[in-house]
Amino acid sequence: MQRRTFLQGLAAAGALSGLPFGLAQAMTQTGSVSVESLPKLEGELTLYLGRGEGGLYENVLKAIEKRNPKLNLKVRRGGSAALANTIVAETKAGVKRADLFWAVDTGSIGVVTDAGAAKPLPNDLRSQLREDFQYPSWSPVTGRVRTLPYNTERVKPEQIPESVMALADSDLKVGWAPAYSSFQSFVTAMRILEGDKATKAWLKGINKHAKKYAGELGVVMGVERGEVDIGFANHYYTLRLKSGKPNANVALAYSKGDAGCLVNASGIVALSEGDLPVNFIRYLLSQEVQSYLAREAYEIPLVQGVEQPQGLASLSTLSPPEMDLRKLADLRPTLNLMREVGVL
Amino acid sequence: MTTTLKKMGALVLASAVTFSMLSSQAFANGAIGDHVNNLHAHLGEYTEEVHWLEEKFGSVVDAYEAKDKSVKSDALIEYWEEVDFHSAIETQYVPIYASIWQGIYGVKMAIDEGKPVDAVRVEQENLNHALWQALGAVKLAAQYQKKGLVNKVQTTAKEPTTGPEVIDDIKTRLDRVVAKYAEQLHEVATTLVHDTYLQRFEGVEGDLIAKDAALVEDLEKDFNVTLPQAISKDTGVDAVRKVVESMQVKLDRARALLVEVEQSRKDVF
Repeated sequence: MQRRTFLQGLAAAGALSGLPFGLAQAMTQTGSVSVESLPKLEGELTLYLGRGEGGLYENVLKAIEKRNPKLNLKVRRGGSAALANTIVAETKAGVKRADLFWAVDTGSIGVVTDAGAAKPLPNDLRSQLREDFQYPSWSPVTGRVRTLPYNTERVKPEQIPESVMALADSDLKVGWAPAYSSFQSFVTAMRILEGDKATKAWLKGINKHAKKYAGELGVVMGVERGEVDIGFANHYYTLRLKSGKPNANVALAYSKGDAGCLVNASGIVALSEGDLPVNFIRYLLSQEVQSYLAREAYEIPLVQGVEQPQGLASLSTLSPPEMDLRKLADLRPTLNLMREVGVL
Repeated sequence: MTTTLKKMGALVLASAVTFSMLSSQAFANGAIGDHVNNLHAHLGEYTEEVHWLEEKFGSVVDAYEAKDKSVKSDALIEYWEEVDFHSAIETQYVPIYASIWQGIYGVKMAIDEGKPVDAVRVEQENLNHALWQALGAVKLAAQYQKKGLVNKVQTTAKEPTTGPEVIDDIKTRLDRVVAKYAEQLHEVATTLVHDTYLQRFEGVEGDLIAKDAALVEDLEKDFNVTLPQAISKDTGVDAVRKVVESMQVKLDRARALLVEVEQSRKDVF
């Protein structure tokens, strides 16, 4: 156990002294915890759930309910951004309806934390997460990384520049999906990190040797067919394609320290005080739920010690840029820039 | 259009329950109340309204034929929006609701363009056909409603929670795209396509990729290029409907794949 984690464990020891030894021990350990050692959930909870990966988040909720028959879980579903705005409005009006908010994107989380609606999370819970993903008032659940899928027959890894900005000047034929929401978040990150001028120049440069696709799966498939050499896409499209077609001519490359390898996260916020919302979050960070989302949705577990989806480089070897992901919600200037350049 | 209407008539008989259940959401232009949740009690009223509409639409065409300069084609829309039957068919079977709008605009545009009266009468006949077919669909839905086989129309939409449910919801939304296009609300139709893609299809495409990546790519193109272009280029209701019908066939395949995925999925705990 690392010294920092050990001290966090000591700090939490007072609060945990009334718990069974096994559970208390589990909660003072870093990394993933099995649901077997988690407290039973009893009482009423209202969760605002942003739309996610099809029915997978729903399956997680059903499993938690089945395991905790004394939990009365009420779920309100909607778009993450819309639910975040609702929470802010309810907070301003002094009406608290939700105990928890599980969003698919960090931007929506930022809206809620900025409004002061989030309750602080205990140290022992936060310390389960990878060090770069520990926050005082919200917990990441799973992540997704921007990647550069490339055609293994047409491109050698050494031909791919380490900087995504350098791709604008390369002679590689690029596939992209400018209308796609994930791509627009990536350009937003570039705008924040590199500035509008550099981003504009990059868009213009790429546009000269790019082929446009409707969505990012289309980009990955265009790469695999050899229509383009390389593309921009979230990691899971390639992993899912490879799971159905293991010999597909596509592999993943990653840029270094820039928007090209941005890691975005889904996350959860406790909006009420007390053990019940926090303990609910513990279930989402459990070994079983993290593994399930990694296995079924190819999402990246952000709890320490949980295996990543097969085919993805270890998160510790990636170098995502340092930035406040909550700023990705600022999409309007990005769209204006893309329209100005003529790629939208 | 006649062929399409015949096809829809067959579809009504075959799957009225399914369509009723799927469309039981708050989309109607009018208020949701007893007139849509207790259809059986209102069938007499609806039959009268269809007779009334047929007569009123006929009077507009008669006036046009008589070269009455005071004839206003906008009256066709006003008559249609006046009746409760409007909400009844909109909440029960959207494809025919779209055909009614298509028929109304068919007559209206033929008049506005000064076409020969015979051409206007053809459009009027199509419109009347759609109205009666709609009444048939509502009567059938009333029977199922009376037996408790369909959900009540709600004032708030219920979110689908499984992959197959999402696909069902997408198909209903696409029917609504045709209806809004037929209603000449092109921007609303385009927004609905984009929202359906972002809020629904993106959530299920992940599971589909491993099963049939080409199908997903095809549907991505339909959502982002083919359908929006059919609307923006104003290719006509039949052309937009054709794109939607083609997408719905692909979505049926997607639904079957998602059922397989759900069945093979391991438990969380």
